[in-house]
Order: sequence, then C-alpha cells, then structure tokens
Amino acid sequence: MELFAFLIIMIMVLGAGLLVQWLPMRHQPRPSWAQRAPFLGGGTPDSHAWSRYHIRYYSMTLLLIAFEMEMMFMYPWAVVFVEKGMKAMMEMGMFLAILSVGIVYAWREGVFKWQ
Amino acid sequence: MAVNWLRTLASRRSVPVFPVLGMQGDELLQQLVLSPDIELVDSPRHASVLLVAGEIPADRFEFARRVHDQLPSPFTTLWFRGEPWSHLENATRIDDLDILPTALVTAYSELMEGRRESSPRILPDKPPNPWEGEGDFGQGGEGMMGGVPYGRPMAMNMENDIRDGLTLDSLTFRLGPFFFAFPPGMSAEITLQGDLVQTWQTQLVPYPQSLDPVFFTARERPVPIAEIELARARHHLHRLYRGLHLAGLEGASLSALRLAQNLSTTSTLDGLRRYLSRSGFFRLAAIKGGELGPEQARRIGGPAARAAGLDEDLRSGDAGYRRLGFSPVCQTGGDTCARWWQVLAEIDQSLHLARQAERDDVTTSELGRIETPRGPWCAKRPEDASALFDELLPGLEWGDALATVASLDVAGLADQPVGTRPSGESRAIRGGTGNDV
Repeated sequence: MELFAFLIIMIMVLGAGLLVQWLPMRHQPRPSWAQRAPFLGGGTPDSHAWSRYHIRYYSMTLLLIAFEMEMMFMYPWAVVFVEKGMKAMMEMGMFLAILSVGIVYAWREGVFKWQ
Repeated sequence: MAVNWLRTLASRRSVPVFPVLGMQGDELLQQLVLSPDIELVDSPRHASVLLVAGEIPADRFEFARRVHDQLPSPFTTLWFRGEPWSHLENATRIDDLDILPTALVTAYSELMEGRRESSPRILPDKPPNPWEGEGDFGQGGEGMMGGVPYGRPMAMNMENDIRDGLTLDSLTFRLGPFFFAFPPGMSAEITLQGDLVQTWQTQLVPYPQSLDPVFFTARERPVPIAEIELARARHHLHRLYRGLHLAGLEGASLSALRLAQNLSTTSTLDGLRRYLSRSGFFRLAAIKGGELGPEQARRIGGPAARAAGLDEDLRSGDAGYRRLGFSPVCQTGGDTCARWWQVLAEIDQSLHLARQAERDDVTTSELGRIETPRGPWCAKRPEDASALFDELLPGLEWGDALATVASLDVAGLADQPVGTRPSGESRAIRGGTGNDV
C-alpha cells in the first residue's frame, strides 16, 4: 500500500514537473534550421563535426591500464608471499623487470610526452 | 497562471544580451558590461535581446542575418546608432548611450510579459541542402557515410596532421565576424585537426579601431603628457579586459574595466596585478604559445614588438618624455605571456609618467611622430596586421590560438577618434542602410 502511494506521488510530481516545462513551450514552433546550426559568429561549417581525430593521450591511457592490471596481480601474490618467502619475491621481481622493459620502451617512444 | 508567474520572474532577471558589433560598437560594450541589469553573453543561444551596436558594413549583412536567426524565440532586436533593416517590424533604434540600459531592460520585460512580439525570422527555414527522404534509408544520399544527412556532408575530408602525418578527418569552418573572442569584425576560415589549427586564413579584417581624441590632438599641438598617458593606460586596460574575459576570469576582467573607467593619476595597478598573480592567469598553459619572430614583431609594432625585445618607442625621441626620464620597457619572450606582462608593465609605466607629468606640468614636444597604444604613428597610421595570424596560428592548439588572438592588437587605426559618428557619406560607401537584404 505504501509502495503504491509512493508510486502515485512520484507520478504526480513527475507529471507536474513535465507540465510546468510543457505549458510555456506548447505554442512554440520547432527551432528553425538556422538555429540548429552551430554558432560560429555568423560563419558556416563545411561539414558535420562528427570527425575522426587522434586522441593524443591514447597511448598513455593504455599504459596506465596495463600497470593497473599489474597491481591486481600483486594482491594474491601478497598472500602467497607469506607461504613461499624469497622464492615468491624473486618471481615477482622477474615479472616487474619484464614489465619495466615495457615502460622503458614506451618512454623511448615518447608516450609520456604530453602533446 | 503558473506561466504568468514564470514570465514575471523571468522578466526581473538581468537582461541576457548578445552584441553584434558594427563600426565603433565595442566602445559601448565597456559601458554595458558594468551595468548590473545587463548580462552580456557570448553566444546568441543564451540571449533574449540582440543588440546591433554601430553600423554594420554591407559585406557583413549576411553574417548578421545568420546570428539574428540563431536567437531562441522569443527575442527582440535593438539597434544602437545604426539603421534597423526595414523588414524588421518591431526593431527599436536607440542613439543615446545613457538611455540604452533602460531601453534594453524595458524591451526585455515587455518581451517576457508578452507585450512585445518576438522578432521575425529573416532566413528561410530550410536545411543547407535538401536531404529528407533521399537515399535508401532516407539518410540524405548514397552509402553509409555519403549524402548530406541533415543537409550537411559528413566530415570525410582526410588530411595529414601537421604534427605527425596521421591521416584523419579535418574540420573546416568559417568563424566570425561576430565571434566574441575575435577582434570586432574579423572573420577567418579555419581547418582544425582535432584540437590543432591546421590552416588559418583571415577573410575579413577587423574594423579599424578608434583611439582617444588626445592622440589626434597630439599630432597637431603639444598636449599634457598626463592626459595622453592616462588614455594609453585606459586602452591597454580595455584590451586586458578582453583577454581576461576569454580566460574565464570574470572578476579580474571586471576589475580591469572598473580601473579603466575611474582612471586618474592617483590610480595604481598593484591591486589588479596581485589579483592576476593569485588567479593563476600567468600560469595558464594556453598563454605559452604564439611567439613572434623579430620580423613579425616589427610588422605589428607597438607593445607586441616591445614584448618580443624590440627596443622601439617614439616617446624616446620626445623632449617632454626625456625630461621625465622615459625609457621603453621590454620583455624578451615574445609569446602571449610576455605580451600580457608587457601590457601590465606599460600600464604601470603610463600611470607613473602621468603622475610625474602632472606634478611638473610637462607636455609633449614632438608633433607628427607619436607613439599610440597600437604602435608608432609617423607618416602613416598603424595598419591592419591581421594577416599575421595566417602564419602565426597554424600548429597551435585551439586554446593557444584564441589566447594569441586576444593578446595581439592587430586592428588598424581609424581616421577618426572615439566618439565621432561615421559621416553619412562614408556610411553610404560602406553599404547603405541594409534595405538590400
């Protein structure tokens, strides 16, 4: 019953909100074609602005995701480390060393340079 | 009833005005900005009143018509010191600056309360190209990306990026002449590759700017240095207002404008400089570009040249200024940041010179060769230098490019000082009354 009353109240509130929006708009025509064009200070565009361009921080983003995943591997490793000791430590060291080669490579390629 | 209440409420807010600037129109903006009842907006979408300020030259009518039709309904149009187009029935013409704010408020409240009709649309309501119902799926033409959906082609113009040669879509458009971040009257055809300016071609040069009458008098007879230096500081403060407004520092821009309005020999720049340092204006990444080479700096002249390290100022040759111990201030960077530091330094220097000159009652002595805030004026007035953008801006990111445009004073000097109304004859040459629309 309470849920039903709540539903009714919600519908009424939503309806009232929409009515307040709709009432002043009901006599207005659709925006004209001139209004629908982007504002360019009186100028005009040649084409739509839906264009493919290069997101310059793309490679940096990929690298961030790769190293976030690496952190995820370290949580279960922390549990195993208690059991295995130095052996696990060396394995993780090798894993990090291989990943570091990736960082050095990306660095050389200029990934960290903001364009 | 709810609607009436909403309308009344809306009519009490500050009036959202979009200014379309004609010749000498920007002078009134500085007056309007400080009016508490008026809110100047940068896009017609946010405006309910279109203010056409000054005479619009005939070659810019088409652009003005497009802006006029971009205001959302209901809206009204006011013409300040210009003849309204004959087919705009309820356009009001105002010639007196003192009654303009009141007229704007009245027009807006009448519009909101339904006592004034909305301005009629001028352009035909049709898409740029016919497209509806064309093609297999009604998308406007052949192929998935072909045709003209919604009347306009898709961005398929592949060009090589000038940074690294990646071939991606570029975006070509024409911006201006009523774009708030450009000098009034300027328009350019721009090609963007992502956020990078690939090409820039200035198509319409900015309107010639008017200077304070004291600069014109100084070419005919000696004038008090205090007066000419205050006018110079005021000019630079108005430019600083535009730069700060573009940077989004509304508070700082308004204090620059207030300082310009109440400028006297007792004014100091300390408060504004402190405000700017604290607001982080000089640390903005966007003001690190736009470096002028020596040749470019010489072409534009004035403060922009001195910001690039050129030690050239006609005031050095004036006996009056020599008596005051004048020597030009210069920066070394030549980029946007250096130009704004130069503007601040020149305002400070002008206030200092004005104070000294007032105390010792010094006047200028050199006639015919004066240093205006725009640059040196010897035989010829400083000319328009907006063509410089075509070589300076390609390769800059969009934000850097706009910051560079704001920092360079490129418009040439008008042949008449501020406050002089264009004569009927010159108006006719520039395009009549607009009845040919």
